[in-house]
Amino acid sequence: MIAFASAIIDPAAYMRYARPGIQAAAEPAAKVFAFEAIGTVCRSYNLLLDVAAARDDLEALVLVEEHVELAEPALCEKVRAAFSDPAVAVVGWMGATGVRSIAWWEGRISCGPVVQQYDEHGGGELPAWSWTEVDSAPREVDTVDGRLMALSPWAVRNLRFDEELSLGVGYDLDFCMRVREAGRKVVTADVRAIHHHKLDLVVGRELWVEAHIRMAEKWDGRTAGAPPAEVDWKARARRAEAEREAARTLAYSSATRVDARVQPLERELAAMTASRSWRATAPLRRLNRLLRRRA
Amino acid sequence: MLGNYTRPPSTMIAFGTSITRPELFRRCAEPGIRRAAERDSEVLALPAVGSIFRSYNALLDQAAAIAQLEALVLVHQDTEIVDADLCHKIRDALADPDVGLVGCVGAIGVRSIAWWEASVTLASFINRYEEHGGGDLHSFSWAWDDAPPYAHTGEVETLDGFLLVASPWVVRNIRFDESLGEFHGYDLDFCLQVREAGRKVVTADFRAIHHRPLEMIPDPEPWVAAHIAVAEKWDGRMPRIGTEPGSWRDRAMRAEAECDLAWAIAHGKELELQARTRATERALAQTRGSVSWRITAPFRRIARSPA
Repeated sequence: MIAFASAIIDPAAYMRYARPGIQAAAEPAAKVFAFEAIGTVCRSYNLLLDVAAARDDLEALVLVEEHVELAEPALCEKVRAAFSDPAVAVVGWMGATGVRSIAWWEGRISCGPVVQQYDEHGGGELPAWSWTEVDSAPREVDTVDGRLMALSPWAVRNLRFDEELSLGVGYDLDFCMRVREAGRKVVTADVRAIHHHKLDLVVGRELWVEAHIRMAEKWDGRTAGAPPAEVDWKARARRAEAEREAARTLAYSSATRVDARVQPLERELAAMTASRSWRATAPLRRLNRLLRRRA
Repeated sequence: MLGNYTRPPSTMIAFGTSITRPELFRRCAEPGIRRAAERDSEVLALPAVGSIFRSYNALLDQAAAIAQLEALVLVHQDTEIVDADLCHKIRDALADPDVGLVGCVGAIGVRSIAWWEASVTLASFINRYEEHGGGDLHSFSWAWDDAPPYAHTGEVETLDGFLLVASPWVVRNIRFDESLGEFHGYDLDFCLQVREAGRKVVTADFRAIHHRPLEMIPDPEPWVAAHIAVAEKWDGRMPRIGTEPGSWRDRAMRAEAECDLAWAIAHGKELELQARTRATERALAQTRGSVSWRITAPFRRIARSPA
């Protein structure tokens, strides 16, 4: 039996996004564990793992964050295909290789047909990670994004999320690092899904920085399975501070590029809609809308 | 234009440019210099000789030999001076004999060559770009009526090197540090040298147009190298430069985190660009395709046609 589980903070989001997707993807015998979140993501997920671990018939546990809408009718088939390799312990909807930190997307991303739906700027939909090149899935990766991940029975029964990582980010990378340290594989699957999320990648910037530091301190620059390396901290700090300033400047350049490219279009639109002919025909458009609604 | 101001006898403000792209110089720097220069101003327009550090030193060497030098205006080839009364403003600023350098963009609280991450006190320039059909980005003190409350002229820690005015003392006593690289950080390092020598670096109320692309660091690697070199040179010599709280390990961990955050913000901006472009293009297409827009097209044509 492939079970599904969600830790719910925002019931409305769960009802709107996660639940319909789970209902469409789950097989008739599937168990769905939908619990209220308790404390941190790690504590909530560990509760879900404890409950799932007690099921003798568990084939896999699919953890679904409430803003993830599965659009993959063949999800169970794809999860089974991934776990047909007994070394695979974690299957995700998106992940990456060459990962150095909780900003795993700075590695080489592998992802299925996932789209991001946003509310800003009148709302819309973009392919996930549309700002960069993405490898297709399935693929073996260093880590997967924790918002949609399937765990093997071995992972469910032998590993737990690190509750010391209490800031709500980085739990997925840490879990995948421990899976790989245990000699198991982490892979992506070709899963169709919709991610309902703001355009900003990072929400809560100061906490995110602290989480990044905690993870770096925990793993001390190690990749899974590698011994700690000798570090020249002064040289590393100098370089990191320089690269940070360069990245901030590039972010600033990106912002000015947004203005430079979009503002002429917005000005053109404003000029059109402020024109006398557009304003004079407003009653016709109102009438048209009314007629369409009645029809 | 100069009011009752009387120039001291036998003095002259010179202009210097280092040229790697003559057509850019002719289009940008040359018209500005023509606008600002006085009849007797000497213009040193020299082909670049290697790095900007070396090229600017060549200009300083030539200017130092001008006996009646009152000031040297160093202008990037892509910088267009706007003020016809620039020389008058330079004389006002250099009336204080302690002033060594004058500019129109400056900052305080500076920690690195990314001086724009510090507290900028004056930014009287336009960034004129050619991308996306071209346009102008007005910096915050381009127009005083729109300037924020923190905009003011006066003493700063560094200036933007795109337009620098050096006093005769600076021209004869300070040189750009050619060991620092090819381009980046030359302005901060020069300002630090001037300040270390006990002279002041100030902003004054003049303006320029910087004809440059929107991307501020097209090639990050040399920029990163210059950042490190300047930090190493000045750490312990000048307050704040190259220093941050914590051990080297703490600093590395935090900077790496903040670097990743900055990249995430940049990626978010890319998404915003895509989202806003799509939304606006959709609205434009809907407007253009609407019956009311199409049936009123003849009226707009009539309105546009000359009477």
